[in-house]
Amino acid sequence: MKVIELKNVEKIYNDSEFKVHAIRGIDLDFEEGEFAAIVGPSGSGKTTLLNMLGGLDKPSAGDIMIGGTHINELKGSKLIDFRLHNIGFVFQSYNLIPVLTAKENVEFIMQMQRRPAAKRLERTRELLEKVGLGDRLNSRPNKLSGGQQQRVAVARALASKPRFILADEPTANLDSVSTENLLDIMEQLNREEKITFIFSTHDARVVKKAKRVITIEDGKVIRDEWKEEDVR
Amino acid sequence: MIWSIGWKNVWRNKARSLVVIVAVILGIFGGVMATGIMQGWIVQRLHDGIHNETSHIQIHHPDFINNEEIQYTIREYDTVACILDTTPEIIAWSPRVQLFAMMQSDWAATGTMLYGVDPVQEKLVSEIHLNIVEGQYFDDDYRMPSMVISSKTAENLKLLNYQVTEEKLDSLLTMEFPKDLIKKVESIGKKRFRTEKDFRKALKNALGQKQFKEYGNTLVDLFSFYRIRSKVTVTLQNKDGRIVYATFRVRGIYKTHNSLFDGMSVFVRKDDLKAYTNLADNEVHEIAVLCTDKETGTRVAKRLSGLIPGNSVLSWRELTPELAMYTDFSNIMGLIYVGIILFALAFGIINTMLMSVLERVKELGMLMAVGMNKKRVFQMIMLESVFLTLTGALIGLVVSGITIEILSHTGINFGVWAEGFEAIGYAAIVYPVVTTGNYISMLLLVIITGIIASVWPARKALKLNPVEALRTD
Repeated sequence: MKVIELKNVEKIYNDSEFKVHAIRGIDLDFEEGEFAAIVGPSGSGKTTLLNMLGGLDKPSAGDIMIGGTHINELKGSKLIDFRLHNIGFVFQSYNLIPVLTAKENVEFIMQMQRRPAAKRLERTRELLEKVGLGDRLNSRPNKLSGGQQQRVAVARALASKPRFILADEPTANLDSVSTENLLDIMEQLNREEKITFIFSTHDARVVKKAKRVITIEDGKVIRDEWKEEDVR
Repeated sequence: MIWSIGWKNVWRNKARSLVVIVAVILGIFGGVMATGIMQGWIVQRLHDGIHNETSHIQIHHPDFINNEEIQYTIREYDTVACILDTTPEIIAWSPRVQLFAMMQSDWAATGTMLYGVDPVQEKLVSEIHLNIVEGQYFDDDYRMPSMVISSKTAENLKLLNYQVTEEKLDSLLTMEFPKDLIKKVESIGKKRFRTEKDFRKALKNALGQKQFKEYGNTLVDLFSFYRIRSKVTVTLQNKDGRIVYATFRVRGIYKTHNSLFDGMSVFVRKDDLKAYTNLADNEVHEIAVLCTDKETGTRVAKRLSGLIPGNSVLSWRELTPELAMYTDFSNIMGLIYVGIILFALAFGIINTMLMSVLERVKELGMLMAVGMNKKRVFQMIMLESVFLTLTGALIGLVVSGITIEILSHTGINFGVWAEGFEAIGYAAIVYPVVTTGNYISMLLLVIITGIIASVWPARKALKLNPVEALRTD
């Protein structure tokens, strides 16, 4: 089942002096349960593409459909609400709220979804245990390592039960052990719970784990490869 | 959780938040104290005004208000008395003969308003008898007619004298004054001084500048005395227009907080005055009426105006419009004080909140990206601002509440300016008054300030583009 469909998507940044063609007519589909990496050199358009997939940026042309919804037609609070219920985000620099504990950082997303307190707590515990932080529920971000913070961020992204998770360079600030650990957790979540992950990355370790690798250059998809065991 | 985030955000930068909180504490403390002192004065002035000077209602002949002449006595007194007796809201009323008179002692003369009163009825409407500082208030029967004058009138008639006596010198010893000072005071001799100015001059010469500065006021008070039982001759016009002379003996000295009223008001028995004025028992110029409370007084005055149309019926509001104005504005003035302070503080709060928002642009970008809508972002920043302000306000209100509670018993002494205060009817010792309503209004004002101060920083946050915000370091 298709989760995301991109049809002839273009993105042009209109500077006062220059026009920058960041994305040039991309057509892509993502199925449920994919573990895909978008790779490419700096400035190739990876982050722009990810921002448009996440509804943070709008395409200049073309159409993006998520679960049958044309997200470029959504505006204001409807778009924000759509993101809250359908998309999970993992950022390069974790972006946890420093004054909240690990538990609260995960829980507040569900509170914004107005889920009952008991269910929130149950799911928060479950998610933090899944990412291996069941014993750090009440730790604040400054008491956690970078890898642990990023695992809390993954739990937070999963909290809203999104259709897919977008992760922008999630391992860029992590050491090799933390990277392996994080990737193992995400791979396990993908394998066992069919959670769709889409990464933008430079990291060869992420590429190695990915089941699909999309290479972008100058705003165009130049390669879209599937690993042998995961042919559609 | 938005509340929890708001509260926790206050403590992200403790030093910065504490500066604002301390500023709010000091601002609220200043506002509450200013309100308390002002209201304390108003309450005292209102009490004195009603219970010493005007009562709740006064009834006069309509022409007496503009022209205080002896023939303008209250019309149909017996009917008026009957109506007053049968009005349930009236606690007491007192008829007064009111004449302008010249008073002369053996040493000086002064002009005053002479009130002929029935002491028993007068005690029920006025508290002058509670303000007697020396002598008594018509309590005994004397052969010669008695008079109660104020300390101000005593001073004007030179009946307030100063003399160094053996007895008072002994009291200086028991009070452990320096022995050399006592000797110097003794050297003044037993001369009687008729004015404070002369006695001060003698004291200064005897003590020298340094000791006079330290002990002068205490010694002036100690060696002063009123010449109770002195004779005072009163010159007044009787009902037939003839000038008559009456002699009274001073039996009591009173002192209120209003030196203007004191200087103009002398009390004698109505019955004693009758022999000189030729006025009948039911011929009086003023009836002072005391009701259950001041609001009732205003209401009853309106009703009485309709019942006794031949006379003028004025409530305390009409008799002393400045008191009515102070009463009406006392609550608003308190809020204006606090409002001005909070207005100034609001700029500090805005600055703190702006810094707080600009420091966490990336975090706000993340919150917007993951689905926090504008309403929640605004709420979060507004709550942070309100918590910041409210923390200071609550501490400020508790601290000032305790201070006000203590000072409402001990009072604040502005004795240095006593003469000035008493010239306009205010006591030099003020007992601050702050009502629960005042505290609630101030709390609401603080919350409103917190909300208003959050608007600009919140607008800054709402204008952020999540993509650009997430890119910041």
